[in-house]
Amino acid sequence: MEYAIEVFDLTKVYRSEGKEIKAVDHLNLKVEKGSIFGLLGPNGAGKTTFIMMLTGLTLPTSGSGKVLGYDIIKESLQIRRKVGLLPEGFGFYDHLTAEENLNYVAALNDIPKEERRKRVEDVLASVGLLEVKDRKFGGFSRGMKQKLGIAQALLKNPELLLLDEPTAGVDPEGARAIRELVLKLNREGKTIVLSTHLLFEVGPICDSIAIMNYGRLVLQGKVKDLLERLMAEEGYRIKIEGIGEVGAFAEELSRIAGVRSVRLEGKAVHVVAEKDIRVEIGKLSAKHNIEIVTLELQQPSLEDLFIKYYKKEGLSYA
Amino acid sequence: MPSVFTVASKEFSDIIKSKRFLILVTIFVLLVIVAQGTVYVSVSSSTQRALPRGFLGSIAYSLVTIMSYFAPIVGLALGFDVISGEREKGTLKIVLAQPIYRDMVFNGKFIAAFLSVSLAVLVSSVVNVGIAIVALGISPPPEDVVRLIIFMIFSILFAMTYYAISAFLSTATRRSSQSIIVGVILWAVFVFIIPVIASLVASALVPVSFTPQNITRSNATTFRPPEMQQYTSQMAARAQISSLINSFTPNYHFTSIAHYVLGVYAGAGTIAGGRIPTAPSSSASTSLVMNLFSAWPNILVLTTLTIVLFIASYTLFIRQEIR
Ligand SMILES: Nc1ncnc2c1ncn2[C@@H]1O[C@H](COP(=O)(O)OP(=O)(O)OP(=O)(O)O)[C@@H](O)[C@H]1O
Ligand SMILES: [Mg+2]
Repeated sequence: MEYAIEVFDLTKVYRSEGKEIKAVDHLNLKVEKGSIFGLLGPNGAGKTTFIMMLTGLTLPTSGSGKVLGYDIIKESLQIRRKVGLLPEGFGFYDHLTAEENLNYVAALNDIPKEERRKRVEDVLASVGLLEVKDRKFGGFSRGMKQKLGIAQALLKNPELLLLDEPTAGVDPEGARAIRELVLKLNREGKTIVLSTHLLFEVGPICDSIAIMNYGRLVLQGKVKDLLERLMAEEGYRIKIEGIGEVGAFAEELSRIAGVRSVRLEGKAVHVVAEKDIRVEIGKLSAKHNIEIVTLELQQPSLEDLFIKYYKKEGLSYA
Repeated sequence: MPSVFTVASKEFSDIIKSKRFLILVTIFVLLVIVAQGTVYVSVSSSTQRALPRGFLGSIAYSLVTIMSYFAPIVGLALGFDVISGEREKGTLKIVLAQPIYRDMVFNGKFIAAFLSVSLAVLVSSVVNVGIAIVALGISPPPEDVVRLIIFMIFSILFAMTYYAISAFLSTATRRSSQSIIVGVILWAVFVFIIPVIASLVASALVPVSFTPQNITRSNATTFRPPEMQQYTSQMAARAQISSLINSFTPNYHFTSIAHYVLGVYAGAGTIAGGRIPTAPSSSASTSLVMNLFSAWPNILVLTTLTIVLFIASYTLFIRQEIR
């Protein structure tokens, strides 16, 4: 397996006013090439610090890491050549237009003068800002600013995109546009890391996620695997709706091996079991002469996962 | 690899197009015009009197006075937000996310400031001299031209000293509002407070026993009773003490250099600090090389101060966290 990012015991300690803050604490993390990776965690978890260390914007206190095969301490310049970064709390020059701002970024990336115009227009088009390219950045809305930030990260045609809170301050429609853009860029082969504290904003598009808290990993893995694990831990929830005498059916259902609970809710029966017992349920319903209308395994959502691990950490989840 | 000039050229064009810069240069040019106008009026109202000391003599005073205010203000105005502003706006993160080294950003900005300061000094000096030529109807002799050019070079150095001070404050304080306040206070201390302290200390340390009455400069040199000699030496001692104290300000060194190069006493540093009782025309008559030689310690102080501050801000900036 090829990794776009690998870090080993990565640690960042800030010292401010005599106090030590472990922003990132012995973090071990791998991000597969070609994936969309969601870095989740509450405010102050260390997401931004982690991303800044990957691009040489801040130096680790200890530990090591590689991004696209380059050492994050010794070869950060090469990393910045190939990695597009949307920093948190960034800004552009207010008195310059969108196009002028991007021209400067293009120049800093050594994109030849004759190619600049086209590259700049291409990325502006891909984030939907081409029509406003001659407007000053100072007059941009939050969402437009955020889009220009993404455009800037795309200018170098990066292999890896690090987007720190890409949907911050963007309206729902804008956020959806950003998610679609991320999916499109991923289809083009780019690896994408998204950081957020709002799971629903980006969760659904991620292949893998990591939840951070107090600079440490709380949970990490493929979304698919994590959900299966959650179902195994919390039980498989099956919803049955049928026509017929469900009382006795429910009664017998609760005696099947592996069933944790059965709950009646009007005509619907909710079952929590240790494994997927839909086949057994089918047989039993036939025996009780019940005509099944619905028989579904209710997938837990990432939300459930998130809430569970947030609760475990004693955190409230916004 | 993008070079430091990518940053420098963008920064330079930002500065010279900025309102801040245009307003400062405009005000300065207007001041120069007013000052020249005054010289013109005084010269034309007494037609029988020739220009006091030729071309330089007629413009030097206003040029030095105005420059001793203008250069620090330009330096402060360009430097106070050089790093803190980028930090506050978040542009620093965007710039440093690109494949460049941090020092390029810093050096690029310094180069841009140097070019802008040079442009400002050049424009204002050309306007000053141009008006003098047109209004006074005289053209400067070659040596005066050379002296003016050298004066401009040191004016640029002086402005860069203040730029280095405010760039350092901008790097260290992290907030442009703090850095401008500290910068202006420092400037006020150098221009107003230290010279006053200097003369207070000087008069406290050297009490003058005799106050000469009705002595003009011409009979003071011919008529020297013992009291007069004592008075002169006491005043010289005072001047020495106040120079010593004033030498803690960059302004003093600039004024001294200006004095040697243009042969005048003027400028904020010595106006309040008490004049050294020697004839101002003496330095203009000695050779330029000799003058520069005399100004050498002052040149060295200004240059060293600028370089030290540059290195300090640079080092701080390279090591600083971006947020
Ligand atoms: N320059 C700094 N100096 C001191 N402490 C810092 C600095 N930058 C970050 N921190 C601290 O490090 C910790 C991690 O901050 P970080 O910004 O990485 O978290 P985050 O997960 O990105 O949070 P958010 O969701 O709010 O963006 C916080 O406690 C923060 O206060
Ligand atoms: Mg953050």
